[in-house]
Amino acid sequence: MTQVASDAAGGPGFARSPWAARFPAMRAENISLPAGAGGALSGGLVLVGLGASVATLVMPMIGEAFKWKHAIASFHVGAITALTMSLGALFFCMVFHLVNAGWSVTVRRQFENVASLVWVGLALVTVSVMLSVWKGGEGLWSWMGMERGENYLLDKKSAYLNTPFFLLRLAIYAVVWLMLAGLMNFFSRKGDAEGGTEAAARARLVSAPGMLAFALTVAFAGFDWLKSIDFGFFSTMWGVYFFAGSAFVSVATVTMILAFLRRSGRLEGVVTVEHFHDLGKLMFAFCVFWAYIAFFQYFLIWYANIPEETAYYIHRKQGGWENLTTLLMIGHFVVPFLILIQRGVKRNPTLLIAMAFWLIFMQVMDIFWMVRPAVYAGAPADAVPGATALPLDVLGILGPVALFFGLLIRKVVSSPLVPLHDPRMGEALTHKNYV
Amino acid sequence: MNAPARFVTEKGQPLYGITAEFATPAAVYHAAETIRDAGYRAWDVYAPFPIHGIDEAMGIKRTKLPLIVGAAAAVGVLLGYLLQWWGSNVGYQTVVQGKPFGSVTEGGWESFVPITFEVGVLLGSFATLIGMLALNGLPRHHHPLMKKDRFLRTSDDLFMICIESKDEKFDPDRVKELLKSAGGTNLDLVEDK
Amino acid sequence: MSALHPDESTAQRLAAGALPPRGSPAPGTGDGTLIDTPGVRSPLVLNNRSFGEVTNIICGYTENPPGRWWLPVFGLTSTIAGIGTLMILYLIITGVGTWGLTNQVDWAWDITNFVFWIGIGHAGTLISAILCLFKQKWRTAVNRAAEAMTIFAVICAATYPGIHVGRAWMAWFMFPLPNANAIWPNFKSPLLWDLFAVSTYGTVSLLFWYMGMIPDLATLRDRADLRLRKFASGPVLSPLLPIRIDRIRAYAYGFLSLGWRFSSRHWHRYEAAYLMLAGMSTPLVLSVHSIVSTDFATAQLPGWHTTIFPPYFVAGAIFGGFAMVLLLLIPCRELYPNMKDFVTLRHLENMAKILLVTGMMVGFAYSMEFFIAWYGANKFEQDVFVYRATGPYWWAYWAMISCNVLSPQVFWIKALRQSPLVIFIVSVFITIGMWFERFVIIVSSLHRAWLPGEWHMFYPTLVDILIFVGTFGIFTTLFLLFLRVIPVFAMAELKAVMPQADPHGHHDDDHHHGHGEVHAPKGGH
Repeated sequence: MTQVASDAAGGPGFARSPWAARFPAMRAENISLPAGAGGALSGGLVLVGLGASVATLVMPMIGEAFKWKHAIASFHVGAITALTMSLGALFFCMVFHLVNAGWSVTVRRQFENVASLVWVGLALVTVSVMLSVWKGGEGLWSWMGMERGENYLLDKKSAYLNTPFFLLRLAIYAVVWLMLAGLMNFFSRKGDAEGGTEAAARARLVSAPGMLAFALTVAFAGFDWLKSIDFGFFSTMWGVYFFAGSAFVSVATVTMILAFLRRSGRLEGVVTVEHFHDLGKLMFAFCVFWAYIAFFQYFLIWYANIPEETAYYIHRKQGGWENLTTLLMIGHFVVPFLILIQRGVKRNPTLLIAMAFWLIFMQVMDIFWMVRPAVYAGAPADAVPGATALPLDVLGILGPVALFFGLLIRKVVSSPLVPLHDPRMGEALTHKNYV
Repeated sequence: MNAPARFVTEKGQPLYGITAEFATPAAVYHAAETIRDAGYRAWDVYAPFPIHGIDEAMGIKRTKLPLIVGAAAAVGVLLGYLLQWWGSNVGYQTVVQGKPFGSVTEGGWESFVPITFEVGVLLGSFATLIGMLALNGLPRHHHPLMKKDRFLRTSDDLFMICIESKDEKFDPDRVKELLKSAGGTNLDLVEDK
Repeated sequence: MSALHPDESTAQRLAAGALPPRGSPAPGTGDGTLIDTPGVRSPLVLNNRSFGEVTNIICGYTENPPGRWWLPVFGLTSTIAGIGTLMILYLIITGVGTWGLTNQVDWAWDITNFVFWIGIGHAGTLISAILCLFKQKWRTAVNRAAEAMTIFAVICAATYPGIHVGRAWMAWFMFPLPNANAIWPNFKSPLLWDLFAVSTYGTVSLLFWYMGMIPDLATLRDRADLRLRKFASGPVLSPLLPIRIDRIRAYAYGFLSLGWRFSSRHWHRYEAAYLMLAGMSTPLVLSVHSIVSTDFATAQLPGWHTTIFPPYFVAGAIFGGFAMVLLLLIPCRELYPNMKDFVTLRHLENMAKILLVTGMMVGFAYSMEFFIAWYGANKFEQDVFVYRATGPYWWAYWAMISCNVLSPQVFWIKALRQSPLVIFIVSVFITIGMWFERFVIIVSSLHRAWLPGEWHMFYPTLVDILIFVGTFGIFTTLFLLFLRVIPVFAMAELKAVMPQADPHGHHDDDHHHGHGEVHAPKGGH
């Protein structure tokens, strides 16, 4: 039983699937891509991604106008965006197993694919962390370059905010996520190879404690990599906020993959309009959930008006950043809300591709909103670069995101597009939203 | 009755329609498909619970209810906001914690979000229930079908189809034939009284 | 393939048209309730019930005399409710000084109980709305009772804001009504948002509950009507007032069911309406407890002002509400004949899992609060949290932690989360723990604020205690009445999820393929 499912179409994994005999849609060519499909696109994206990333991080070495902090910040935005896609997908993989979901079986493989790339996000974040450690005060986390006694708040927090512990936590998150994503994929591929219900049952068993570990690591990762950039700021909601964005963007990413697969003539009758309807509902739900969390976090801080908290928001409500804040309110909530609430849109894969692109862009903007204003916080007005810094922002974000999508395409192509033997496959294939 | 009835029963009563009974959801589902395909419009399936997919089998168009609800919720959002804006800026201006009086243009709108939302949901919910009832023509406590003892069992475990005499294609003999061929049993004439 | 799945045996029995003797199911499957194999769904209704049997059993709960336990229990609970009501009258006549409030702790049991009850009220809407959106079919067995419980809990909760204002006859000032003073409420106050949120919630829950009930009330109407048509005489109200009870039923249920006649064209709009109400109730239920949490979180009081409060309160509300649902349903299951066919062990296990999940969410929030209190580097905030755990109210804090975070952990063990007794005991703990949670938040933050000169303890008076106990009386009395007059299960919805309700045969996976394609039995069981 060493046969794994990365076999070419029609390999043993496909032939043994009990579903293939019952559902014509489960024929091998419908649920797999030929080896090397999308190779040019994937290769191109990887090249662009690497190029843009390297360019971003080389620019500060060349020109005085490009600050290290700025370059790392832009790169960090892209890196975190890539990471959140994988984290959200990992969450959904575990939830699907925990609740024994039937409808989602035919879409779950793509969540697994996105989740399995958590190493990419982790590697990219490690780059920005390491560069910051190297650059100290010039890096993204200004506290890394500060001495004891320099700042009262930092002194109080130094038991948590110190470089060795920061790196240790990075390692812990990495171990937990790599393990969980690895297990989710391992069991899914094992099911492809062996059939039966054993693998699905194991995956469920892992998911329960996995979810606990996931919740804690994601919350603290959000604290470390986004909140602690502005070390004076604190909010208990932050972990949930970070998670809300992750869940949101991962559904958008998976919907996009599936819609493109349908356009390439695959998954006919496997991922139907009913599945897109449900994915659309998830996008809608998490767009509302994100708005709920984002609004209440802001609202409570705005209302209580306590200086050490409010500073964070005041900074993002002036100096031009208020436009970005407004864009997020409208683009991340109002527009998707009004569009996705319509049944017709959720059942139209083409429109969903457009929505998914928009939502991924909004996730980038959300992370950008968290990270970027901190770069020149407190700097004199004439030190803040205008459009001259735009290349840094564009390349910095483009690099990691393009790299992620390039690798994602390779991952999608490499294995069957659905878990071949999942015992709940029948339910998913006949899934229907009656109302 | 303004116009004379097209069909009357032996007792001389106007005819409401012809019913047939079915024992299972599957039977009534397939019968519904047959009747839909035969081109009838004024007919209905009576079932103790909503049968999955029966809308399609009967050829029912999607309801317009969501539009009504959406409109009501939008009105609620608007009213909720206006109530607060008016109360805080015109009706009774109070400075609370040094915050602005509250409006979208001058800031301080944040405080209005909870109530705006609640009023929107409140109106939307009322519109859902009332709209559903209105579109269904309810409340209506008397109906020709309810005179039939057998019909009352559709609230328990019986499935029934009634083809109504107001259908343009209605012809008693052909309707009976159709219902029988679709698997219906205990065919019955329902008087319109 | 040796064992037959229970749904299949139901289908076979119904297909054969004859009722085989009700023996034990095939060996190896138990009754199928606790099947855990991925891909095999456990039956939602046990004992191979037909639609007619479901109707008879459920309508029987309201049509037949209740068990002998009902009247004594009702007598007890209504006495308690009466005492509570008298105490509320005493409070209104005398003033809130009869409570143990002090200058510093000026909110204590009143708001603790308000938040406690409103939290309990959240489970009903969670079950009816959120689980409906998630297409969780098992909700049909518990949603009616849970929604009823929601309404009654909201009634108990809504009492407190009314009476805690002191001059209860001025409570109408809370509403934005024109008055002689030309005063309008302060729309920027969380307390006013709370009023809107809770009253909207109560209203929408009532609409939702009522709409779900219309078809079932029509079933009761039709049954009463049929009995009136069939039998010349029947039970009467009393010998002196010889009105047949069935006539009262026919009129009362008839009036309330609005002439519902089970038309599929109506069902179509009904289902759309139900889904939309569910869609609106879901954000509503989140908003309500979030807004309740703003009563505290918008303040600058240490221990109150923390941004995680909205989702944390919602999770806690679901947690406490599910515990209360279980506290009510587990005894009902034992006391009512055949109820175990509808509320199976799988239902209880599912709810136990929800308790475990939400309990850990609450635990997550506790730890975040603690961590950020330290990380925020605010002396006052830190001290409040230290006082919570080690100060004079340490017992309340540790009661909260052990009941809410530790006690649900037993549900990691399968045998324990499948035991009604264990679930019941844990639910009792959770109910206690969730009360203490609100007590800890409210009183422990108030009793040690800012200046040591303001430090006071809170001691409840007899009035405090009896009003709280009285609300339990009101709650259980209303629930007992509910059991007598309203269909305890959503019959129509329950029938729709039974295996024989599927018009394409009982196999889920044969839906589209019923027309001429393959009809192979499902593998694996």
